[in-house]
Amino acid sequence: MDDLFSNNSVNVSVEAPAENLIQEIAYDGQEVYQLPLTLSENLTKQAHKIDWMKGDDDDEDIEDIPSVTSATEKDAEEDSKKPDFQASSWPWDSVRNKLRSALTEVCVLADVITVAKDKRYMVLDPVQQDQPDQRQLAQLFSKKRGLTAAANILLHGAERLKISQSDTARAKSNQDFHLELLRLRQNWTLKKIGNSILGDLSYKSAGSRFYHTGIFEVTKSEEPVLGSSETISENQHKPSMIKVTIPTELGGTAYIQDILCTTNLNLVHASLTHSDPSRDANPWTSKLEAAQNVLFCKELFSHLAREAVQLQAAIPHMVVGNQITASLFPGIQLSIHFQSSHSVGIEKRQPVSNSTSPIAKVDHNFISSDILEHSLHQLLRQVHLNNVGQPVPHPSSAPLGPTKRRRLAGPHAYDRDELLLMTKNENILEQIIRQGQHVVLRLRTMFVIDSIAREIRDPLIISHWNVLNSPTLSCVKIIIMTHGYDTLQRTALVVHVGEKTLKCICRDGRVLQMSYEPQELRDLILCQISQHQINAVQSLARFLGWHVVSSSAHLGLGPVEPLGNASSCILSSPSGNRVLSVRCGPQAAQPQVYLSSFPRPDIEKNKVLKDVRWEQLNASYEEVRLEKIEGRNFLSRMELLMASLTYLLSPN
Amino acid sequence: MGVIVLQLFAVPDGKSGPQVIEMLTKRVIALGAVLSGSFIVDCETYSSTASLGAPRSVHLLHNSETPASVFALLEAASGNKTVALVADNLFDLLMLKLSNFYTAKKQTKIESRGPRFEAGDFLVKLGSVTMGPAFKGILVEVEYQACSLPAACWDLIREFMQGFLGGCVPSTPPQYIQNRFGDMLGTIDGINQYLEQFNAFRKTTGIR
Repeated sequence: MDDLFSNNSVNVSVEAPAENLIQEIAYDGQEVYQLPLTLSENLTKQAHKIDWMKGDDDDEDIEDIPSVTSATEKDAEEDSKKPDFQASSWPWDSVRNKLRSALTEVCVLADVITVAKDKRYMVLDPVQQDQPDQRQLAQLFSKKRGLTAAANILLHGAERLKISQSDTARAKSNQDFHLELLRLRQNWTLKKIGNSILGDLSYKSAGSRFYHTGIFEVTKSEEPVLGSSETISENQHKPSMIKVTIPTELGGTAYIQDILCTTNLNLVHASLTHSDPSRDANPWTSKLEAAQNVLFCKELFSHLAREAVQLQAAIPHMVVGNQITASLFPGIQLSIHFQSSHSVGIEKRQPVSNSTSPIAKVDHNFISSDILEHSLHQLLRQVHLNNVGQPVPHPSSAPLGPTKRRRLAGPHAYDRDELLLMTKNENILEQIIRQGQHVVLRLRTMFVIDSIAREIRDPLIISHWNVLNSPTLSCVKIIIMTHGYDTLQRTALVVHVGEKTLKCICRDGRVLQMSYEPQELRDLILCQISQHQINAVQSLARFLGWHVVSSSAHLGLGPVEPLGNASSCILSSPSGNRVLSVRCGPQAAQPQVYLSSFPRPDIEKNKVLKDVRWEQLNASYEEVRLEKIEGRNFLSRMELLMASLTYLLSPN
Repeated sequence: MGVIVLQLFAVPDGKSGPQVIEMLTKRVIALGAVLSGSFIVDCETYSSTASLGAPRSVHLLHNSETPASVFALLEAASGNKTVALVADNLFDLLMLKLSNFYTAKKQTKIESRGPRFEAGDFLVKLGSVTMGPAFKGILVEVEYQACSLPAACWDLIREFMQGFLGGCVPSTPPQYIQNRFGDMLGTIDGINQYLEQFNAFRKTTGIR
């Protein structure tokens, strides 16, 4: 029978559901089970559930059920007897019994409490109450009620805000203030620190290392601040709700003015003008921009002043108050002024259209240079950029720091001199001095060329200045030609105007270095003019069929020229009976022309010298009076002369 | 950029290296040159490990005239010309990183150092060549900075050199210059000549 059952039976095992309650589910899906209770924990849990009061009664009932029932029966009998028996004896008996039982109860309670207090034999433990029923619906309702109460409070507050917002006067001003603040924030950096809004108008983020912090404060103005009331009717400035407070030292406007002047002249004071007010409708824009400009000018001036003190120049630079003076050439100085006006309101004096240049008349001893001011601004910005920017290395694994030229120095095998040149850093003052020198030299060169062009009309002097130039180098091409004969002969020379020297390159390849004295250029041009005349006459002669017998660019005959050398040429007519000799010197106004004709008028026929050719010997030269010949210029006169002499035959 | 010519000056018997340098210094100064510092050209050799095939050497040269550069010359692999590389100073560190492939041969570090003179467009360097503690010889370098074409200025250089070196200067240019007589020379050609001379120094024992 066992075999039968063991073969065909299915084992059935009974076990408690051993699944443990899930305590929590972790974020990655793992379930953390509540650990099953240990034996001692289980015992305590069960012990808590026992109600000792009830248990005693139960126990008594359970154990002494038969006895109790009999006892109760007996008691009941006795009681029924006793009351019958006792009732008649004493009316306080029940009271006495009740009091006695109460006393025993209380004594027992007192004993229990004292024993429990001792905690050695008995300990009081709370009885685990049964959990009240989860009445979810009631909870839901109570929560809902609480939420509605809170919501009501919030709605109430929101309604109040709405009312305050819908109030017209209040609403607009707030909106305006915030809108304007938004616009302000679009252009300027603002920070909220505590209760106040502060802004930064310095160039620190662009690389400046100036000590001034440039902090301005933005507040709400009590009454609308009117914008600048310009007479331009298009720009009606709206009243602004924003009040911008800038530090007092940045008030007003300022600019840096460069003046080139000669030493023995007092400086003419420039009148302050303002550039056109910005087209922006906001009054704070111009205020902030002006303050920023003042800050930039202050930084620039302090930078220059520091360099001026540190630099050691041949003639030391002077720094006095708001003025730095540096000498460019002997007798010419560059002074850099820091001009500022602390007037907060805009005072209009002589508005100049779109220009900050204050000079109405140009005094030739006193030149204000806007170019140099612009250069100064650019140079300081360059310094800022160098502070911030790091050149990115081209193989990105190369070290960050060296400039591109320094990185190329290795592979290109630069030698020590080249490396030394690279390390030289020029500061702003040196650079601006060089640029100032170039400006002066350029102006002088222009002046020389223009004055020569005005004086000398016979060959025309044409100058073309190159469009592309650098702050320290300009080029001019000077062309000397005669009107009407420009295809015949042009003399060209190129002059490179540097900082302290001029380099002149002539057409024939000669390179001449000249100093800054204007007289040298003038002399050179005069020499070139005289040579041009002679070359032109030679070309003209070839054109007309005359022969150039001889020519000399630097003549050694005749009176010594005070300047340079005279040049000359000798031309003979196609038939050979006329010889013209032309001599031109740099100082002479006009070239001198001499004519000799053959046969010699003064020779007498000689019996010995019979041959015609003896008559062809040198005759004396007679001067030709060029001013009597019709012609616009020297070459046209020469052309007329040569043309008229060509076909004159000898008398015989 | 100029034409660099290296000339070996034989040390006469009985004289020491410094004495010869002093003598040459006097001659050069008599020619009107001005002392302008000192110079050093040194050469380290690295040879490739066997794992890369046939062993080839890389010579690393430094020249105080071009302090920002390192010249690396890879020896010819039978028939090809030496490959020259001009690099930044970081190349030294790169070689250290390649120590698994190129091992340094420390004992053959050779250098030429001495005074440097300037005489107009000429640059004269009198170098005493030492390999470790041992003195190997005298190497004179003359650079004519105004011209880069040997064909145009060889005669001038030879005349100048004969002025203070005497008869040891040959009338024909050295083989290296002769091969490149019509080409434009530069710093790398000077370095190549130094390498040739250093190799010759390495091969000989004693003073050359």
